Amino acid sequence: MTVLERFDRATIQTSLRSTEFTLAVLAAVGFTVLASTTHGNLLTADTLKALFQFLAVPMVIGLAQMVVLGVGQMNLSVGVLTGFCSVITAYLMVQSGWPAWLAVLAALVVGLGVGTVNGLLVVLTRINGFIVTLATMTIISGLRYGVHGTATFQNYSPQLVRLGQGSVLGVPAIFIGAVIVAGLLAVFFRRMSAGRRLLASGGNPLAARLSGISNDRSIVIAHALSGLLAGVAGVFIVASSGSVNASIGDDLLLPSFAAPIIGGVALAGGVVSVLGTCLAAFLIRLVDVAQAQYGINPRWVDLIVGAVVLGAVLISQLRSRVSGGSP
Amino acid sequence: MTAEGLVKVFPGVRALDGANLRLEAGTVHALLGENGAGKSTLIKIVTGVYRPDAGRILIAGAERHFSGPLDAQHAGIGVVHQERNLIPAFSVAENIALQVVRSRFGFVDRAAMRDTARDCLAQLDVDLRVDRPASDLSVAQLQLVEIAKALAVESRVLLLDEPTASLTPEESEHLFAVVRRLRDQGRVVVLVSHKLEEVFAVADTVTVLRDGRSVAEGAPLAGYTRGEIVDLMVGRAHADISLAARTVDETAVPALELVDVATASGHRDISLTLRPGEILGLYGLVGAGRSELARALLGLDRITAGTVRVHGAVARIRNVGDALHRYRIGYVTENRKEEGVFLQQPVSRNVAVTVWRRLARHGVVRDRAEDELVNTYVDQLGLRISGPRQLAGQLSGGNQQKLSLAKWLAADCDILVIDEPTVGIDVRTKAAFHELIAGLATSGLAILLISSDLPEMVTLADRILVMRDHAITGEIDNDHRYDTVSQAVIRLIHSDTAA
Repeated sequence: MTVLERFDRATIQTSLRSTEFTLAVLAAVGFTVLASTTHGNLLTADTLKALFQFLAVPMVIGLAQMVVLGVGQMNLSVGVLTGFCSVITAYLMVQSGWPAWLAVLAALVVGLGVGTVNGLLVVLTRINGFIVTLATMTIISGLRYGVHGTATFQNYSPQLVRLGQGSVLGVPAIFIGAVIVAGLLAVFFRRMSAGRRLLASGGNPLAARLSGISNDRSIVIAHALSGLLAGVAGVFIVASSGSVNASIGDDLLLPSFAAPIIGGVALAGGVVSVLGTCLAAFLIRLVDVAQAQYGINPRWVDLIVGAVVLGAVLISQLRSRVSGGSP
Repeated sequence: MTAEGLVKVFPGVRALDGANLRLEAGTVHALLGENGAGKSTLIKIVTGVYRPDAGRILIAGAERHFSGPLDAQHAGIGVVHQERNLIPAFSVAENIALQVVRSRFGFVDRAAMRDTARDCLAQLDVDLRVDRPASDLSVAQLQLVEIAKALAVESRVLLLDEPTASLTPEESEHLFAVVRRLRDQGRVVVLVSHKLEEVFAVADTVTVLRDGRSVAEGAPLAGYTRGEIVDLMVGRAHADISLAARTVDETAVPALELVDVATASGHRDISLTLRPGEILGLYGLVGAGRSELARALLGLDRITAGTVRVHGAVARIRNVGDALHRYRIGYVTENRKEEGVFLQQPVSRNVAVTVWRRLARHGVVRDRAEDELVNTYVDQLGLRISGPRQLAGQLSGGNQQKLSLAKWLAADCDILVIDEPTVGIDVRTKAAFHELIAGLATSGLAILLISSDLPEMVTLADRILVMRDHAITGEIDNDHRYDTVSQAVIRLIHSDTAA
């Protein structure tokens, strides 16, 4: 009995903790294979820089989705909100002549605001978060074009672009930014009482309610945070690309789900993994790079990413079956 | 049909310990027993939901093994559960014929389906349009449809689990007429009921379960008086577990006082007084409204009339936050997996969830502060964990329950509502839990104990209130003598003044 129990515990513990480990191993193996089969091409400064430069946005977007998944919600508007925030930043700088720092701040406030509205709508109307954000996604998607039509903004604040495209000791600045954001988020979930309450609400809303936690507040905070992160991603895009238009964000929604799901975040809520989400984003990025390096037909990339997502969800389901059988 | 020597063991609990059930064709058979005696387990084995660990089931003399509910149905055993199991959007006919749908060229033969449904309803002498959607029907009608559905698969044995729990007396009468009709057709009807007056009105033979064993096996009911049946159900052989005597200061200001309270969930004229250091028991059958009263005290259900006083001052409890932080009322829930514990979170967070507000400095909670908190309860509650970081989902049921208790102790509650503290917990842990609860009362906590486990009630409570149909029907001063107290409680529950 006790031996069985211990064995059971050990397997559960490892299976619950191994996601990040598995991903780290996969990432290392993938990177090594890619580096060696391309004759070191991957290790040149430019390729490496591009690898991480374009990792920042998927990482932050994945985290934006992860936060709402943590309370058992979804945010379909995260992609278009990112686009909206980047268009607003550029518009304020180019058309209104605002200084870069103020435009950036405004974009973050807009992201936070839209996220808060998402959360309040979910809580006040009791309509499923999927539907609420489906609606706000459509609205924001329209608003993106409302800002300045289909025109492209460019030639805005050279300092901002220099920062966004620059690097510190060879590491792209916006990747450093994304890592800082991830670190802050990890602290939020591990250490802050608000972050813990959020996970309690997501993991077991009934128990949370009976413990004096307001699930409604948790939902609003999660959506607000998700919006803020979308704003951050929008600013990263403005800073790193040098030109933006209203179509930005169209292709961000699915990657936003892929990273946390592969990263071991429970769709039902209650379990988040900042590290797992970041590693998963890196893996997806590797698939992209492999495509460029090997000259694979781009349509295979989506197929591979799709297969990885499906496989990851299957694994997580098997894992939950194992832990569900515990005493 | 006969079931012999059935044994079913769950982790930590021997739910059935050699129970027998002997059913004769053309009888109405009553299956009786107190909460936790093993009735549900027996029903689940006979209907193929559980597989027994020992014992065998014979049908017409041949041994049968059920590998699932479908097998039992094919063997002619039908069951109507306490909860309704119909598809609301389907019509009566579609529901009745669900398992016997005939199709022609892949299309459902709707005419045949209607005929089957009409035929089954006619056997019951029930007049009901078969095209009505199930969602339009009353509870009583739904129940008849379920019985008809069991007839559609040609059940020879029909189990009815608490069939009259939500019926009016007239509806019950009609149901019993149907039951007698089925008996006269040569079928067996097994009636599981807590209402002894009903049992004596319809049943021919009786099986009584106690502690997983059958203490009366298929005996003719006519040979018993009601008092004898109660004796069989309760038993006399219970060893009294004696806990250190506690004294309650009768002059102290009550920690909690309810005066003529009514709630949105249907309670009326509830008055009770709970003093510091006292354990007040609230006993009743499942569905009597005990947990609902607890939920109202926690601010989860609305209190519509009457006065609640906490430590002598009138209290308005609007939500759990109020109950917890202003009035220091905690609720150790019955359903720990669903309501009490965060399974995917470590032990430390489960304990600290009510006090993050207090532990946090500038919104930041240090892990060490949580760990220290956990360690204070590891000794006090005898919590068995490998460390504060162990996930709650890996703990045994008893330890999860202790965790759920630790959460409220951490929150410094002075009033604890403890709901079914030892359901699904083995005997030894149970005894430890009883000592723990008594110890908490000795240290000055006021405890409202909700339990369906009568021995537990008699062991722990200072006074026992009996609740029935959302009202309190009586109060018993508990002298911890099992015989007299349990008889008094059971009489209050089964008293004939049906509302």
